Amino acid sequence: MTQGEPAVTPQAVRRTILEMLHRAKASHLGCSMSVVEMLIAMYASVDVGKIRSHAPDRSRIIVSKGHCAAATYAVMMHYGIIDPDQIRGYHTDGSMLAGHVSHGVRGVEHSTGALGHGLAVGAGCGLGLRARGYSDASVLVLVGDGELQEGSVWESLMFIRHHRLSNVVLLVDNNAISSITHTHEVIDMRPLAARFQGFGLMVAETDGHDVAGIVAAISDMRRSPTPGVVICNTVKGKGVSFAEHQPIWHYRTLSDEMYREALGGLGNDEEACRT
Amino acid sequence: MQRDPSVFLVIADMGINLIERFAEAFPDRFVNVGIAEQNMIGACVGLANCGYKPVAYTISNFAVHRCFEQIRNDVAIHKTPIVILGIGTGYDNASLGPTHHILDDWGCVRSFPGLEIHSPTSCAYASPLLDDLLDRGASAYVRIPKSESRYSESSEPMVYLPGQDQRILVCTYGGLAPVAVEAQRLAPAISALVFNRLRPLSGDAIASVLSRHQRVVVVEDHFAETGLYSSLCQVAAARRMPVAIESRAPTDYTLTVGTSPAFFLRSFRGDASSLAEDLR
Repeated sequence: MTQGEPAVTPQAVRRTILEMLHRAKASHLGCSMSVVEMLIAMYASVDVGKIRSHAPDRSRIIVSKGHCAAATYAVMMHYGIIDPDQIRGYHTDGSMLAGHVSHGVRGVEHSTGALGHGLAVGAGCGLGLRARGYSDASVLVLVGDGELQEGSVWESLMFIRHHRLSNVVLLVDNNAISSITHTHEVIDMRPLAARFQGFGLMVAETDGHDVAGIVAAISDMRRSPTPGVVICNTVKGKGVSFAEHQPIWHYRTLSDEMYREALGGLGNDEEACRT
Repeated sequence: MQRDPSVFLVIADMGINLIERFAEAFPDRFVNVGIAEQNMIGACVGLANCGYKPVAYTISNFAVHRCFEQIRNDVAIHKTPIVILGIGTGYDNASLGPTHHILDDWGCVRSFPGLEIHSPTSCAYASPLLDDLLDRGASAYVRIPKSESRYSESSEPMVYLPGQDQRILVCTYGGLAPVAVEAQRLAPAISALVFNRLRPLSGDAIASVLSRHQRVVVVEDHFAETGLYSSLCQVAAARRMPVAIESRAPTDYTLTVGTSPAFFLRSFRGDASSLAEDLR
């Protein structure tokens, strides 16, 4: 972690997400809660100051599963990349904070929403940063496990492997649920690690709710000459007991009662940063 | 690429006997992504994110149809500076069948705000075009016909070739420019309006030419619904012009084999002889 950066806690981020989703009566709770620790770890692995200043040699963080916008914006806010005032506009008329990640928000590299786009852009960034000689910059791309069904993801993985773009690290939110049902019931890709290994990639598998473990895996991948994938085993809806493992929470919105129950379930955290 | 060190050429394994010189001269700014067009466009967008000016190259049907969503989301929405160079237009790949006929390429993407579309009819237009697009940081699709056309040395987006009188105007673009010129040679009364740039169009300038003719015929090797016929109808309708515009264009894909573009042009009387015969 870059010295001087805030210690962002998952509880604080989840509280922010709940507030955003409840205030806006917005969906995508499950897929936002699953990636909280992943996003914290991604920003903890790079020089956030360069992202804030939009430096040419900044690391690129690309959230390809754009439907976790609430989590992305919440983490960005806690890292001081976007303002709390901006967060309050999430999903409201005239705001730039849509329900999918938007480059209309300063600090976001690329708008996503349709799946299977982010890794190709990340591959291009990896190639471009290498050509520019920015060897310290990383490209961290977050995809969902359901998104892996898009063929374009595998086009990009072949390209990344062939060109040894070791500055690119793919992080998979392996929450086991895609849009409407369990991922393995749609397209069973288990064992997932073997799929990536078959493409010649380095693979690490980790608890997707362990920030330190994810940070360590990203660091390992960056030191490897072979491009790598970090499979983060997560729980969709993590931290909200009635939403965990439930496909419907991709779509459902929080009632007032549910919101209070969800907040209560997160517990107290001194470092929580309310919006 | 020699002039501008930020230009990056990205190809999808096409361009034999063409791209080698670039690959050899600029190995650090050239990459062949393989048969993976979606990744080609996405990677170009990533390169643009890092300050490069990407040029994506493959055959037109793969460049557009395979990458429709990448062009919409990653190029048009982001206003990404990129030149998508597609080789082949209309029936250039005549005998290869309908998957390789390019009758609906620019029509697919003409609704994307900000995307320029060029269909050069001459080297005089095409040669400076790339530099201009790259210098301006434009998002552009450039479709290159395989036929070599030397009908005009004009570098203007639109070229008017007046006939002996002003009764009949044939409008066309790209690879069909020679057809219009030949039709005019066979029937000198025909005037021709040849487009190098399909989007944006100069509506007032077009309207001025249309208004001087009694009969307007749009000939194109592209479906009319999303082609130049549609564009010119919009120009005329927006100005409430009392002009009837006719279309000569394919109306469907075909499984019938033809070994030259002329074979297909004859099927909708869009070849030079048919035009001269019908419009003299």
